[in-house]
Amino acid sequence: MPTFPSVEWFEAIRQLVNNDETFRRLGTVDARVGVKVGDKLYEVTFEAFECTGVKEIGEHDLRDLDFWLEQSPDEWRAMLENIKSHGSADLTFTLNTIDLNRPEGFAKSFDGYKRDTFYRFNQSLQHFFDVSAKIDTKFAAAARA
Amino acid sequence: MAEESAAPTIEIPPDLAERAKAVGWPEDLVIMLLGRGAQPPDLVRYMSMGVTAEQVREFVAQQEAGGGASPMPTTQLDLSWMNVPTEWGTRAKPTKKGLTLDAINIGRYGDVPDVWEYKTEMPRGAVATTGVEAMGYTIYEKQELWADNAADLYEEAIQRRWRPASDVDWASLQPLPDDLERAICQICTHFSEKGQLEADVIAGWEPELSYGYHEIKLYLATVVFEGARHAEVFRKRALSNGGGLGIQNTGWSFRSVTDARNFTEFIAIQMVLQDSFTLTQYQLCEARMPQAAEKLLFRLAMQDTARHIAYGIAHLKYVLLNRPERRLELQRYLDKGEAMLIMDEKDTATREAFAILLAGGKDKIQEGLKLYEALRRRQVEQYLERLRWATLDRGTHLNGALRAYLPPEEETA
Repeated sequence: MPTFPSVEWFEAIRQLVNNDETFRRLGTVDARVGVKVGDKLYEVTFEAFECTGVKEIGEHDLRDLDFWLEQSPDEWRAMLENIKSHGSADLTFTLNTIDLNRPEGFAKSFDGYKRDTFYRFNQSLQHFFDVSAKIDTKFAAAARA
Repeated sequence: MAEESAAPTIEIPPDLAERAKAVGWPEDLVIMLLGRGAQPPDLVRYMSMGVTAEQVREFVAQQEAGGGASPMPTTQLDLSWMNVPTEWGTRAKPTKKGLTLDAINIGRYGDVPDVWEYKTEMPRGAVATTGVEAMGYTIYEKQELWADNAADLYEEAIQRRWRPASDVDWASLQPLPDDLERAICQICTHFSEKGQLEADVIAGWEPELSYGYHEIKLYLATVVFEGARHAEVFRKRALSNGGGLGIQNTGWSFRSVTDARNFTEFIAIQMVLQDSFTLTQYQLCEARMPQAAEKLLFRLAMQDTARHIAYGIAHLKYVLLNRPERRLELQRYLDKGEAMLIMDEKDTATREAFAILLAGGKDKIQEGLKLYEALRRRQVEQYLERLRWATLDRGTHLNGALRAYLPPEEETA
């Protein structure tokens, strides 16, 4: 059972979406997306019809990303548990809903053009996280901020 | 009278004459070609491709033999087209996304000129046929329409297209309280109108854009389709859950789009200002819609509109980097667009409908109106952030009514 957050967890999701006809049917995605969980940072790269890579990164790498998704470990856990229990995000836990409900924002970027890739590829990104309903996730206590 | 009817003297532009001499094209040949309507940049291109004077004479002779008003007997062949001096031997390679527009922009086919010289529908990289009638294009300068991301956005739009009829689970919609259903239907009426307007106006601009910039024409064709898709999907939502259409929009902000006299003006107002504000409204609707099917349709609509903005701000950036003297002109277009956008506040129906959706019911509409003000702040902030990326700081130009939505420290940022 992969632990969230970890490269292993994102790799498991990557494998699932790359073999998922629904993900491919949503169309091409070109984005370097960061996932920030407490002090842990990961880069998930999408190219054409695939998720092409996952790696752990540092704060100084954030500028190279199109945008990153940032919330506390507890908030990430709530989102992923909601997805697991409903099979996909329910009304209150879609990526856009979280973004709109957080005054400090959820999708962040240093670049006004790149940040919009969050909207351009939104359904694919939503699908990426929704696929996590298919795996059992263990949550890292150490990741709690 | 005799002087008036004499054929005009054809002069060879000095640069062309020099180039012709260097490659051995005699003056009489160049004059003959110019007399037939050949454009100097064409001739320079053929010269630089190594086409000899003899090949040109042979090609012209073949065209003459095969041309004329009388149709050629079907048994007689005219194969002059097989000697056309285009760049031959091109072998574009598919990418991970397939054979994209960028992938075929190779060799001279990928040269996008700053000024397109042809008035016909000749594809970029083909050889012009003399005597073809003009198409009536009016935009021939790259800076008037270009955005570096247009080819990619075209491919993205094609790959990420969606089908309102079957991608949205319409059958899953459940009856809603009357006030909420009315609010959603009013909002959908507004968005359906907006989508149709965007499609109509862009379709009107397409015949103005010359053929040399096909990446832009193709991308905008997808925007026309997406405008139609939005008109379709929001109409479908209004008519699918026990409600119906609402009241028409006052249409103030539409006028700044329909009245634009210049393509960059139109793009600045429609695909930067208006679409930026619409995208924030879609975000809000996605977040607040009470059913999964509705949330999905707004997520999908968000994707389309975000692409429109990507083209819009990339075009503004291109203009500002290549024609910095147009900066104040762009500010004025936005001044006008913002002023008309503010007039939309007179559309109480849409504002109140948003307030009901935001608060969750008519009984909490006052609370919803406050939330609507917060939405306005997000709209203005995102709009200004995008303009800053395009190197345009609205600063003191920003309409006072929009500035009022910003916290004090952001007002002139």
